[in-house]
Amino acid sequence: MQRLILLGLNHKTAPLEVRERLAFNAEQCAAALAAFRDRFPEWEAVLLSTCNRVELYVARAPHEREREHELIGFLAGFHALAAAQFEPHVYRKSDLGVVEHLFLVVSSLDSMVLGETQILGQVREAYEAARRVGCAGTVLNPLFQRAIAVGKQVIHQTPLAEGRVSVASVAVDYARRIFERFHDKTVLSIGAGKMATLLLQGFVGLAPGKLLVCNRNVERAEALAARFGGQPVALDDLAQHLVAADIVVTSTGAPHPIVGRTQFETILRQRRYRPIFLIDIAVPRDVEASVAQLENVYLYNLDDLQRVVMQGRLQRRDAVAAARRIVDEQVNEFAAWQRQRELGPSIHRLYRRYHAVAQEELARTLNKLPNVSDSERAHLEDLARRIVNKLLHDPVQVLRRSENAHVPMSQYLHAMEKLFQLEADEHGNGGDGDNGAPVDPSGADPATGKGE
Amino acid sequence: MLLVAVVMFIASGAVSLSRLGDGYEGRRLVAKAFLYAGIILAAGVLLWHSAMRGSFAPLKDNFDALIWLGLLLALFLSYTQRVRPLRGLDWFVMPIIVLLLVSAAVFGRAKPHEYVSSAWSWAHMVTAYGGALALSVAGAVGAMYLIANQRLRHKRTAPLGSLERLEHFTRVSVTLGFSLLTIGLVTGLVRALGSPHGNELGPLWYRSPKVWLAFGAWAVYALVLHAPINPTFRGRRAALLSVVGFILMVGVLIAVQFMPARR
Repeated sequence: MQRLILLGLNHKTAPLEVRERLAFNAEQCAAALAAFRDRFPEWEAVLLSTCNRVELYVARAPHEREREHELIGFLAGFHALAAAQFEPHVYRKSDLGVVEHLFLVVSSLDSMVLGETQILGQVREAYEAARRVGCAGTVLNPLFQRAIAVGKQVIHQTPLAEGRVSVASVAVDYARRIFERFHDKTVLSIGAGKMATLLLQGFVGLAPGKLLVCNRNVERAEALAARFGGQPVALDDLAQHLVAADIVVTSTGAPHPIVGRTQFETILRQRRYRPIFLIDIAVPRDVEASVAQLENVYLYNLDDLQRVVMQGRLQRRDAVAAARRIVDEQVNEFAAWQRQRELGPSIHRLYRRYHAVAQEELARTLNKLPNVSDSERAHLEDLARRIVNKLLHDPVQVLRRSENAHVPMSQYLHAMEKLFQLEADEHGNGGDGDNGAPVDPSGADPATGKGE
Repeated sequence: MLLVAVVMFIASGAVSLSRLGDGYEGRRLVAKAFLYAGIILAAGVLLWHSAMRGSFAPLKDNFDALIWLGLLLALFLSYTQRVRPLRGLDWFVMPIIVLLLVSAAVFGRAKPHEYVSSAWSWAHMVTAYGGALALSVAGAVGAMYLIANQRLRHKRTAPLGSLERLEHFTRVSVTLGFSLLTIGLVTGLVRALGSPHGNELGPLWYRSPKVWLAFGAWAVYALVLHAPINPTFRGRRAALLSVVGFILMVGVLIAVQFMPARR
């Protein structure tokens, strides 16, 4: 039995400057998970790092101490940061709170762009990365599998993903406010990732005169350019392309800005101060923030687009409500399933143990009563079983209701195992497996806790 | 009638501005109805004034000229919003129309210009007022550009059309206004210095604030048009200069009204 913990920060709690410092690219993510496994070998972890969030999902044994500060230290240490630099922006959740948060995230209800489907793929990738490293186990496997299913359900059963106000649509709207015509404009994409693809999709709808794609990986640039009828260009000639471009989408994974202010001042002169619309969706940012101060430069990053997207959120309350209902139902279902999964074997062991005790005592008594008929023996056996069931009924009910109480169920379970010495039985008698329904050998219904 | 026309134009601008909140289509039609009513009333004032004066030739006096300016601006606004609407244009042009009509009512002199008989005078009046008209539009659109640009730089939007269109609008207006203003300045100078009644501006004409303000406005617009050679004068700077030029031009109009002709 494990306990869930979540430490994270996102676009609501941390500015871009903080998020970009703590962000993990794919390689860093794998390295961090490997380091986590070495440092916390008994724990499970999934690390979700996107443009808008960095979240560490952890499952630990309930009897272990919190060690939250160690997790913060782990994140800080990986990026060689002082914990104080990001800790004030970190949110913490546990147990059912983690489940609910993950389901909201994967449904895009916690996203900057409501209804965006990219987050589903990102959660899946994060989970797969954890599985590959061996960090996802018996707790996080079912949790993330269920989360991905919830994400799909929200996409297919609600209008949330339809007509969404996305980063792409917001960027296109801003472009229309800067430029009147697009047939004589050049769109340049620096980077060929998913976000760049989404944005280019939006800009292609404006029918720009020219579309250039440059990327470190030339094949990806060629593929993206071919998809949108653009032209792949060399990253080495970036300055030259920036002189020609009117709309620039930048989304590289570079750890430092690739466009600085001094360089851009020269570019602006060469452009004869033609207006330029820069959309920097990279985290960390690709364009130095001070470039925005230059005349005729309109620089927007992810956080800048958030405000507009939030307005769209208000207009789509019904879709949000429908998605929220699905999430709530799924959280309850998962909680019930999880409770059953955790309670089942323990209750099974509890009943088995005490019915065995009752049977032992009954046998001992019957040995002293040689003239007991079969009918009387059956009545006595029934009596012993009913007594055990009635005695165990209240503690089992408390356990079943414990998830709603302020003390997590896992703590009750842990206490029960200690009090009734069930841990000793665990290996000796075994349960019915993780997912098996508990069987009350006495014939009582363990699902309701009621005998006869 | 003039006051009712002013009220109509104010009402049109106010109703149009109230659409900012909800963009209700019905109010657009109401604003348009007020605008047309204002145009008809202003034209009625001109007709009435001409009939009273006994001459239908335009620009015969200052009152007539100011109303012509306001009316032409209103017609331009109506035409633009019908052919290729530019959101927010009426919010910026309407105050100028109202200002011109109020100026006509308060400061307008019905006394005919003595000199509007010569060809030079006629050319001067038509080009000077035509230039003023175009440059008023440039000033209004320049102000729109400044606001839209400021909001975009602060990651906000303004319902004022794209920056590219506003810049183009400003440039076309300034080009037209500058050409007319140049002709107006030259013809005005020729008329003033070569008047059969002697130099109207006096021997120290070059020290006349009217001359200096007119020249200043002309120089500012020359700077705006300088952008193709020096591109730093484009965008925000060009818009700012067109607003400054408009303010100087208003100064010239005031100078014409209140400053003594001779020095």
